[in-house]
Amino acid sequence: MSTTTTKVSAPGATSSSGAAVLCRGAGKAYRLYDKPVHRLWELLLPGKKFHREFWALRNVYLDIPHGSTVGIIGENGAGKSTLLKLLTGITLPTAGEVQVQGRISSLLELGAGFHPEFSGRDNIHLSCSILGMSEAEIEERFAKIVEFSELGDFIERPVKTYSSGMYVRLGFAVASSVDPDILMIDEALSVGDEHFRGKCVNRLNEFREQGKTTIFVSHDMGAIKSMCQHVILLDRGEILEQGRPEKVADEYLKRAKSRGNERLSSFDRGTSEYPRWGTGEIETTDVEMIDAQGQPSLVFQPGESFRVRIRYKVHGAAANPVFGFGLYRSDGTYVNGANHHWREHPIEIRDCVPGETGVVEMRFDALPLLSGSYYLTTFLYDHSKAAPTAIDHREHVLTFQVVDARRLQHGMLFLPSHWSVVRDRPGQGATTLESDA
Amino acid sequence: MLSLIRSLGKNRRLLSDMVRRDLRARYVGSAMGFFWSVIFPLLNLVIYMFVFSFVLKNRWDPGQTDQETALLMLAGILVWNAFAETMSRSTNTLVENQNLIQKIVFPSEILPVYLAISSLVNMLIGVAIALIAVAFYAWVSPMVPVAGAPPPMHAIGFSYTLAALPLLLAVQLVFTVGLGFVFSTLNLFARDVFHIMGVALTVGMFMTPIFYPARMVQEAGMGWVLKCNPMYWLIDSYRRVLVYGLWPQLPIVGAFAVVALIVFLLGATFFSRQKPRFPDLL
Repeated sequence: MSTTTTKVSAPGATSSSGAAVLCRGAGKAYRLYDKPVHRLWELLLPGKKFHREFWALRNVYLDIPHGSTVGIIGENGAGKSTLLKLLTGITLPTAGEVQVQGRISSLLELGAGFHPEFSGRDNIHLSCSILGMSEAEIEERFAKIVEFSELGDFIERPVKTYSSGMYVRLGFAVASSVDPDILMIDEALSVGDEHFRGKCVNRLNEFREQGKTTIFVSHDMGAIKSMCQHVILLDRGEILEQGRPEKVADEYLKRAKSRGNERLSSFDRGTSEYPRWGTGEIETTDVEMIDAQGQPSLVFQPGESFRVRIRYKVHGAAANPVFGFGLYRSDGTYVNGANHHWREHPIEIRDCVPGETGVVEMRFDALPLLSGSYYLTTFLYDHSKAAPTAIDHREHVLTFQVVDARRLQHGMLFLPSHWSVVRDRPGQGATTLESDA
Repeated sequence: MLSLIRSLGKNRRLLSDMVRRDLRARYVGSAMGFFWSVIFPLLNLVIYMFVFSFVLKNRWDPGQTDQETALLMLAGILVWNAFAETMSRSTNTLVENQNLIQKIVFPSEILPVYLAISSLVNMLIGVAIALIAVAFYAWVSPMVPVAGAPPPMHAIGFSYTLAALPLLLAVQLVFTVGLGFVFSTLNLFARDVFHIMGVALTVGMFMTPIFYPARMVQEAGMGWVLKCNPMYWLIDSYRRVLVYGLWPQLPIVGAFAVVALIVFLLGATFFSRQKPRFPDLL
């Protein structure tokens, strides 16, 4: 990408500005064809229309000054990638105008153009050449690229023998060596291990310190909040909100939450596709998760209080029914299981008669989970015999999300902690700093 | 269209890098590597000699020896193969390189060009083999004239007329690249173009006098087919230079050059008109 000044505009637009990126009413419409052959008819018979238009993006007004770091967020299909393609000049706007000043490097795809049979060394040369570097520039940066990619002796071996991690490392090392004025990244950082991701973030911080402009797409609200000065929230092809990271990211989370709850109401819990078995004397009719405000929800924040509520209906006699939950992470990791019988002070339910209904609730005062997708399985077993038998066992009743906006801790669990630092400075004696939260 | 030619000039280093990589890619990972480029034409020559002199006993003209027939076939197939290879590869090249076109700002016009150059360079290796064979039969082991037949029309051998070779290569390049622009773009509108191209190239090979003399077509009253087949004009010119050491016939080369230029201009215009839509069409 050897652009010095790219001005891309739809017919009839004019502009002038000193901003790094300027969009004035930019929009992109894709042509949708019912049949592939309609494209050919349209080419051969000019004047006849065989397509429908789909506006992936419209009415985009942006003014991004040099040296800023900008995040683009939004749900899948909101138009984030289309916006990046417009800004990089890969596609042209259908309406309005996009103006970019400076050399652009885009990390829309790492390792684009690598040839599997050739060594890392050969691929670095050709990739750099594709990215518009001169022979001298390549020579100068070659050693740095190899060092950054941490490939070692593998640099002489064919790329087809690389692990996907090595491939991505080489791709990032090449693309970020272009020394651009504007760097555009499309979720490229979501790959690679923790160590390499750290290196990438460092590289981005270096860019920022050099006063360069970075524009990136991410779903990681923590990264958005900590790195960006300006955030753009896209929704169905339009800019819903842009401005301070805190404000826009919170708006996004709020929307994600209400979107999740919409799914809750449309979820037909009677015909779950997951297995359910048991003798059926008692039926668990309803399973709900309730948030701190007492509203049914499927999206929670770490530390929030929440309740799981089961409604039941008795159809036949059961000697000693016990209700319980299993909490699983989306990958199947069993996080927690509990019931009201295995407690220091158990609850006993005896003498159920047909027609009885009731509500069982389990309350967590502070949800200890960090970001992720989880699901609930409910157990209803008869504990009157040595081996409990299933009355109504329902796998995967509910799926819920934990969305972590604050990112105070990393990993799977939030563990409440106390910190203290004792500083002993010469001449000032010891001071103790403490943090309880 | 002009911006397209300017872009080719600006990206000539990338172009040469891609040609070099493509030539290496042909044989990277194979043990014999570069020698395959030598073995293929040699093998072709041996097969034609065998099939046409021992099996079919087919002679193009009375007075022509088996070796001469084989050399004419070799020259024809070398040129046709370079053309056909470029056509089938460049028809699909935009689709194959969609990650470059969709993910980075990439001068896609160099794709058909580098494929054509790479095929021509590869063809030159075959041409060198053919010239060695011509020299061998012309001077080391001259052919025995067929008893009772009229003397051959031209003696085989090559001469200073090899100076016309760069010109032939240049017009072939212009022609092939022009068609490459057209079909690579068309293939984005309907991927069937790639499949049709495969069939068309097979038909084209047998419509062009490569394995049979042009005379047979003319005698059958089908001479007009040759008059509309630029590839025959080109192959005929190559044969005169490579096998007989004659200058190509000016009207024929001239006609080919004009056709090549027209094809190139149309192709380049079509390609550059549609180029902004490539990322959306893929």
